[in-house]
Amino acid sequence: MTGRTRTTPKAPDPADRGIVSDADLRRPGIRYGLRAVHGLLLAALLVTGLGPVLWLAKAAVTPTQDTLRTPLAVFPHGIDLANLAEAWTRFDIDLHFVNTLWLALGSWAVQLLVAVTGGYVLSVLRPWYARILNWLVLSTLFVPAVVLLVPLYLTVLDVPGLHVSLVNTFWAVWLPAGANAFNVLLVTRFFDGLPREVFEAARVDGAGPFRLGWSIVLPMSRPVLGVVSVLAFVTAWKDFLWPLLVLRDQAVQPLSVRLPALQDYVELEVLLAALAVSTVIPVLIFLLFQRLFLDGAGISGAVKG
Amino acid sequence: MTSRKHPRRAVAALAALTAAGLAACSGGGEPLTPDDAEALADEKVTIQVAMDEGLEPDAVEAFEARADEFMAANPNITVEAQEYTWTGTTFAADLAGGTLPDVFTVPFTDGRGLIERQQIADISGLIAELPYAGSFNETVAAAGQSADGAQWAVPIAAYGQGIHYNRALFEEAGLDPDVPPATWDEVREAARTISEETGETGFAMMTSSNTGGWILTTLVYALGGRGEEVSEGGDAPVVTATIDTPEYRQALEYLRAMRWEDDSMGDNFLHDWATSHADFGAGKIGMFVSGGGDYGNLVTQNAMNPDDYGVTVLPLEGDDAAVLGGGTLAAVSAKATPAEQAAAVRWIDFYFMGKLTTQEGAVADAEALAAQDQPVGAPVLPVFDKATYDRTQEWIAGRINVPLEQFAPYTAAIYDQPLAPEPPSATQDLYATLDPVVQAVLTDEDADVATLLGDAEKQVQTLIDRS
Amino acid sequence: MASTLAAGPVRSGTSAPGRPRPPAPRGRAASLRRRGGLSTLVIALPLLLCFGLFSWFPIVRAVVMSVQFTNLVAPPEFVGPDNFTYVLADPLLPVAVRNTLWFAVLALVFGYPLPLAAAVAMSEVRRLPGMFAALAYLPVVVPPVVAVLLWKTFYGASGTGVFNTIAGWFGAGPFPWLQDPAWAMPSLVLEATWAAAGGTVIIYLAALKGVAPELYDAAEVDGAGIWRKIWHVTLPQLRGVLFVTLILQVIGTSQVFTEPYLFTGGGPANSTTTILLMIYNYAFGGRGDYGAATALSLLLAVVLAILSAIYFRLTRRWSTT
Repeated sequence: MTGRTRTTPKAPDPADRGIVSDADLRRPGIRYGLRAVHGLLLAALLVTGLGPVLWLAKAAVTPTQDTLRTPLAVFPHGIDLANLAEAWTRFDIDLHFVNTLWLALGSWAVQLLVAVTGGYVLSVLRPWYARILNWLVLSTLFVPAVVLLVPLYLTVLDVPGLHVSLVNTFWAVWLPAGANAFNVLLVTRFFDGLPREVFEAARVDGAGPFRLGWSIVLPMSRPVLGVVSVLAFVTAWKDFLWPLLVLRDQAVQPLSVRLPALQDYVELEVLLAALAVSTVIPVLIFLLFQRLFLDGAGISGAVKG
Repeated sequence: MTSRKHPRRAVAALAALTAAGLAACSGGGEPLTPDDAEALADEKVTIQVAMDEGLEPDAVEAFEARADEFMAANPNITVEAQEYTWTGTTFAADLAGGTLPDVFTVPFTDGRGLIERQQIADISGLIAELPYAGSFNETVAAAGQSADGAQWAVPIAAYGQGIHYNRALFEEAGLDPDVPPATWDEVREAARTISEETGETGFAMMTSSNTGGWILTTLVYALGGRGEEVSEGGDAPVVTATIDTPEYRQALEYLRAMRWEDDSMGDNFLHDWATSHADFGAGKIGMFVSGGGDYGNLVTQNAMNPDDYGVTVLPLEGDDAAVLGGGTLAAVSAKATPAEQAAAVRWIDFYFMGKLTTQEGAVADAEALAAQDQPVGAPVLPVFDKATYDRTQEWIAGRINVPLEQFAPYTAAIYDQPLAPEPPSATQDLYATLDPVVQAVLTDEDADVATLLGDAEKQVQTLIDRS
Repeated sequence: MASTLAAGPVRSGTSAPGRPRPPAPRGRAASLRRRGGLSTLVIALPLLLCFGLFSWFPIVRAVVMSVQFTNLVAPPEFVGPDNFTYVLADPLLPVAVRNTLWFAVLALVFGYPLPLAAAVAMSEVRRLPGMFAALAYLPVVVPPVVAVLLWKTFYGASGTGVFNTIAGWFGAGPFPWLQDPAWAMPSLVLEATWAAAGGTVIIYLAALKGVAPELYDAAEVDGAGIWRKIWHVTLPQLRGVLFVTLILQVIGTSQVFTEPYLFTGGGPANSTTTILLMIYNYAFGGRGDYGAATALSLLLAVVLAILSAIYFRLTRRWSTT
């Protein structure tokens, strides 16, 4: 592919043109055709992207019988706000939401720590064992997560050397999240691109590895930290199988584990209300940090799909 | 105080990291003796005990009232409720992860294996000292015994399969809810009528998480078949899977006809225990087969309207037809310390057995439940003998709040029906292997029953031999 | 884009050739510090611990466990290739492989051309492009478990299910969705595509922005219309990213778990049992057969590793050309 990457869409710029040229646009057939295509696209996006979310919002305050009998009618028999309150108490949504947040934040912190220190060692400090370490880290990229499912689970049950079980603690999710070779790779590659002269100069001035890292390298690495952060946060937020296995105590479960466990014990309207509440929060976060998400998705693109 | 686990919140859970470490204390060692337990009786101890998943808030209150009573009587013990319901597809993970509560329940089918592999604590020394230890019904007791006859787990409930039916739907369909169907042909006829007249599911079938095999095998028992045959071999009994049999074919053929000729089985063919009970509780199912003692779950977990509930016995047709029966064992986690084991046995004695064995316990339990409008006195099968059971019902006679007359079709006959235990070897594997067979018949009109059963028999035999 | 992750091994030489070396004594000190020392080790510690405990050790353990019989209680017992022969003889394995491939193929059919077409159309949006992108990405933000539980409601098989009501407007249905062996897998994939397509669209959008405008200018000089520009400029320029998403999608879909686990539990009649679900069931679904589970995991891993290797080789080649 080309070396040019412009991930951030900017204000129209004469050189920044796409498939359709201004000359094309002056032809009415193309202009109206394009408008029609865009109109259809917008309609399709509204129906598929927004539609289900809106339906969920509606169903959250609709009595079960209405949702079952006439799922697409809008409030045929009024609305029932009690669902939301019951969902909140029956599901302990606040607790599980906070758990979800904790899981994501902790995973993010651990991943950032490992990736930054690791990338720093591999790219900047380069001790004699850097080559083999680098190879060891990169080789794990070729081992899909599924292979680790069972042995990692057993490791978490009885951490070698410490003989503690991490099950039912957030550490069981946080620590394995840190062993993410892709993050290390991203950071290493980024550090490789930084000017080495700056490091040499700092060394000459007597900066040790800690100072060099803290006051020179870290401030320069903001862009890559942003990318790693978004990736780490989103992955942790969506995780299901691993928390399902290691967080069996409902007091520490995130929403993703708790919602399916209760689906059979509450009325449909309450379940849907719980789903709606669980959706509102990430959607709000998304709308607030839209740019960050979309850029992150673009960059992660080639990475995780 | 009882605390359901949530209020402890995340921070406490983190602190647990340090504490959680010291696993496996008793494992395969010598069982605890009553003297040991006596010596530990004053030690401060906290135990996690299983409480049904997804209970209605009132049912939780009732549970906590009982726990408070227990803690008042045993000041050194703190009881914490942990939500737990045995599920075939997650139990092994909980067991391996050591995340089961100290006291938990398992179906009869799992008892033998857990004991053989020493995956539960050996509390046989303490159980033997309980006043009623010797009076369990023999087949019931066997489910919780090791090969040498030591009682490792306590049978707390027994069930015989029955047909639960919705009286409101029966009436709506013009059927008499007091005269439920008594033959399989009548069941089929009633299912068709219900689904035609009401638009709801006439007869629902569980098919997932091992329940498909369980219910199919129930039908097979009622037609005179069995899932496994045990013959005495050289040094060990030889177990043979008997799945490719006329009875299994007949049972599947029966389901096939209801599904594809009558279309009376609704449109969900992936029901498991929880969803079938939820839909029945919500009035969307006319009839379904499940354990005869499920009334409590239907009311406390699925908010069923008691007026609509009805239950009757399975029609038994053919030679050697029997009601498949099973039950529930209370067991103690292998990770529990001796002091926790001693406390756990006290809890089992108090919470599960007290209401069956002492007037005081029966009355206290009934009062706690009645205070929260929870069901009291729903008929079940005895874990001891019928006389003991009848006496228990007398103790709480004034407090029974379930509509006993709606249980009459079941109670009038179940105690005389021949009860047969579940297939003895690799039971859950057998059930799991039959799930897709049942699903195939219900979702594929052209499913080839003979091939499906032949393959399933081979698979089950492999699993029996591997276990 | 792909150049960000091009996996060239880190050069571990001391300093770039041609750069004047610092004076000897200081240089010695600097290179000593560079070549190791305690503080470097301390900084490397998070990585060493995390990878050591939660990646390298479990990988080794997976290999060991695959030749053992273990139920976590009795000491593990060496059984040689027994686990592998058991797994390979399991009649469910071919079914699970077929289902997994079927999932992958369907995911490509549903999730490949549509996002591409949408991205190409969206790249030409001049007013409010952000809104289009946000709308497309919205489903990705919905937590996967919520999405599955929501779609389970949509897939209600009765005539009054959400989708069946819509189908009814057109005189079609009711369809069985999840309740039929032939329908279940496509239904799962449809939901998975809905949940993931937005991400793919954004990736394509980013790649489209990377197409050099000069190429379009040149095509126009040759008199190319819109379709020819798309066919001869846009698509060839996207070739790299298209292939990358293809391989990633195959790797991703071969590890699918959440959808079959929550929608159907692998049913009806094993029609949605995937390889990962099979692994889960071996280990945690009642049998506690950890040996068989790891054996199957390793078999799957070999296949996936080959795919990953192809992926890395290609991304590296594209990033250097």
